[in-house]
Amino acid sequence: MSAPIEADEVVDARGAACPGPLMDLIGKVRTADAGTVFELQTTDSSSSHDVPEWVEKAGHELLDIVEHDGEGYWSIYVRTA
Amino acid sequence: MTTGYAIVLASGELERIMAVSNIAAVAAASEVPVDIFATMEGLEAFDRQTVADRSWEGGPIAEAMLSHGDVEVPLFTESFERAKELGPLSLYACELSMDLMDRTLSDYVDLFDDVLGVSGFLTKAQDRQVVFV
Repeated sequence: MSAPIEADEVVDARGAACPGPLMDLIGKVRTADAGTVFELQTTDSSSSHDVPEWVEKAGHELLDIVEHDGEGYWSIYVRTA
Repeated sequence: MTTGYAIVLASGELERIMAVSNIAAVAAASEVPVDIFATMEGLEAFDRQTVADRSWEGGPIAEAMLSHGDVEVPLFTESFERAKELGPLSLYACELSMDLMDRTLSDYVDLFDDVLGVSGFLTKAQDRQVVFV
């Protein structure tokens, strides 16, 4: 089992509907230094698919998607380019 | 790769306007230029009193968006405002619709960049992918 990823910044978008979590992430990523690791927390299942699409298209690195069973949310880890 | 979108928003149905605001917001935040031309009922949806009363037309999806429980669904006005902060998004009010309703730009919420006629909008849209809603 791999070690958990340590994020430089956590974006808590739990409770927000699509595209709120993605907009929250974009807002943070736009002003971040290259190499910054973000953890986006979302309860929105569509965002768990949609955010990785944007990450790839924007040229950032998707590190991992962790589903927190029983807690009802996902953590999406992204390293900025 | 698209050179951006020119969206003609003619519908006053909340679910359609919300869909436009969500797609436009993500596009603009991703540095894809978006110009929105609000016309007909699509423009009246931005009326200050209509927004304050939340009195849009719409179907079951619109009702669900307005009466959501523990899920945060931002209004289209909030999505547009945020998108304008993040990327190249411009909103234009249709001059013809305003003349018909005897309106000024101050009758609408503070989101519009300018008032445009059809020719003005077509000039802005000439290298864009046009979407009609």
